[in-house]
Amino acid sequence: MSTTITQQIDLEKLKQAIDEVVYTQIDSTILYYVQSCVNCKACEAGCPFSADGLEYSPVNKAEITRQLVRARFTVWGMTIGRVIGGAKKYLKLDEAQTLADYVWHCTDCGSCMFVCPMAIDSGALIELMKQISFKAGIIPKVYKELEDLEVSEKYWDIKEIQDIWNGLINKIGETIGKSVQLDKKNSEILLYSSLYEALVYPDVIIKTAKILDMLGKDWTFMSKPLGIRPPIGIVIGDSEGSVEVMKRIYEYFKEINPKYVIMTSGGYDYPTLRYRMHEILKVKPNYEVAHITEALAKWYEEGEFEIEQLDEVITWHDPCQLSKRGGVIEPPRVLLKALSKKFKELPNHGVNTLCCSGGGGSCSLPSTIENLAKMIGYTLDESDKKFLEDRVKSLKNAGKKKIEEINKIKPQKVLTGCPVCKESIGFSIDYYKADSKVYHIVEILADRIKVKGK
Amino acid sequence: MVAFPYYPIGNSLYNVALSLFIPTIFFFFAGATYRIGRYLITYHSPLDVNPSMPLRGKVSGGEKIKDLVNTVANSSKVGAKRKPITTIVGLLMHLTLILIIFLLAQHMIFWAYYIPPYSALFPLAIPESAEDGLLALTMPGHPTTTMAYTFVNDIWGPLTVILNGQILTYLLMVFLAIYLAHKFYALAERLVIRAGDWWFFLLLFIDVVLGFLASSHIPNNVTWYDNLLGAHILVAEIIIATLPFTRGFHMFEFWFGKVREWYFMTFRRGAK
Repeated sequence: MSTTITQQIDLEKLKQAIDEVVYTQIDSTILYYVQSCVNCKACEAGCPFSADGLEYSPVNKAEITRQLVRARFTVWGMTIGRVIGGAKKYLKLDEAQTLADYVWHCTDCGSCMFVCPMAIDSGALIELMKQISFKAGIIPKVYKELEDLEVSEKYWDIKEIQDIWNGLINKIGETIGKSVQLDKKNSEILLYSSLYEALVYPDVIIKTAKILDMLGKDWTFMSKPLGIRPPIGIVIGDSEGSVEVMKRIYEYFKEINPKYVIMTSGGYDYPTLRYRMHEILKVKPNYEVAHITEALAKWYEEGEFEIEQLDEVITWHDPCQLSKRGGVIEPPRVLLKALSKKFKELPNHGVNTLCCSGGGGSCSLPSTIENLAKMIGYTLDESDKKFLEDRVKSLKNAGKKKIEEINKIKPQKVLTGCPVCKESIGFSIDYYKADSKVYHIVEILADRIKVKGK
Repeated sequence: MVAFPYYPIGNSLYNVALSLFIPTIFFFFAGATYRIGRYLITYHSPLDVNPSMPLRGKVSGGEKIKDLVNTVANSSKVGAKRKPITTIVGLLMHLTLILIIFLLAQHMIFWAYYIPPYSALFPLAIPESAEDGLLALTMPGHPTTTMAYTFVNDIWGPLTVILNGQILTYLLMVFLAIYLAHKFYALAERLVIRAGDWWFFLLLFIDVVLGFLASSHIPNNVTWYDNLLGAHILVAEIIIATLPFTRGFHMFEFWFGKVREWYFMTFRRGAK
């Protein structure tokens, strides 16, 4: 845990934050997660951070929320529980430090829910801790800086960011041999991308555009990104900020009025933009938000194109937010089976996929965060540096398990559908010197799609 | 020496325990109503924001049923793979406990007394012991009443050699001891241990031991028997009355949780 971050803890502010979050967020789902846990610790088996220490197992982390809820909403918690433990109205300094440590050891990947015999989503309880942490100002400064820029839209004032985005638009134009239609209303497809994806894998966006063009789809692209990786607030615990950003995104989608919003990211932004944004804003979309694999699988099954096969062992890493949170399990497999007869499943896949530990609440690779900070002109202080160093440790521990299972099936290519998974697994492959290479599925498919009749 | 000393009928824990059964059930239902009521009061109907999902397609009826089975089985499957010892011990402990609570012949008579249709399950009755009680294959009796005939001629057949109250209780005590040891391990690892962990396990352990002593006639004395059996029922009543406030309630909520997960993934997310 970053000691510099814990020194910032203002216990009075923390008390206020606890009251605000716990009293306003209780509902039957949270109540169920609090009351029904039998402390069997089965969730240990699913959590990527258990490798960092059993104290990071979901049941143990989420206990802080349980104690805060019990102290307010159960007879036992309001009476005996406060004396013998198990219920806490507020947190002492060391407990607050533990809270600050735990919240950044959860990617909200959802593994705990599927492994739990009671289907308890400890990630939802840890998310409440994250909201408390944010309100109390216990947050790595670099994340706060990035989110402030996103909420205020000031990221677009940075020339380097404009250059990157406009450069991406130009490259797409060069690849498809014509100018890109920007913000075109009533297009069938809106190709959605955040600034983050433009930074970490511009080629994937360009190749997706190439595929859409090859298939003759009526598509459009965004003249500017709707955020850095919107809404960052969701993963750092800023519920108010994330709502502001979601409103902006929804307004844009409504204005463009596409039939499909297609994204290449299967990170937290997928379930957020597909489900959560509409649930929070209480709106029913008249478009479908989909991952590129969903669209391609459908078009492939309808015979719009063929896939030239690879003679290699390939596998698929299910991004947590795409599979566990988003329910997209079958579509990538339709494409992968068409791509290679030697497609092999990883020992843990689908809803049981092992998280790369880079996504959700962990917010990407530390090196990417450093690059982003540099780009926006933010200098990392000691607490930021210490925090990012700790992240590397978790990536190594979780990555070890991932590489062990990759090595069991020895694929030449590990395909995935999320920028963070690609980065994190790439990091682990380099660190543990595995023989496989990791790609976004579009990177391989784009050159192997053969449109019928062309 | 008196061969049959005076035995004060009606003056034992057994009678106290029996007379407290109905109040226990009342407390249980009051507690369960409180617990479920809290869920209902704080429930918010989810907004279905799922458009028709033409790209992903619809989940067929067959897939939905398959999903439900997978959803319920998944945690055990993953647990057996990644945490084999605790998962298998856990599954066996639950199985043993369920068999003893609901199918042990003596317990069945108790349940059937309060819930008469329960007697339909009599053919599944598990004898108290393979060695005594005249209810087992190894010591078959010649019953003169219909009820005894049902118990002697159960469907378990030779299995009653191992599928009997004594063996199951030995196993249950071993499994519960492993569970308790697991709690001590967690304590040593400075992981969270809740008061409810000790309370529930301790009561369960005591209750199993009391039931075992009573049914085995240890010590072999009628007064002791009545008091031990009474204490066994009393502890069971404490467990039942406090179920809505303890982890024991998971026996009812487990199903709800898994169905909720299934609904979340299959209907709300349309997982495919």
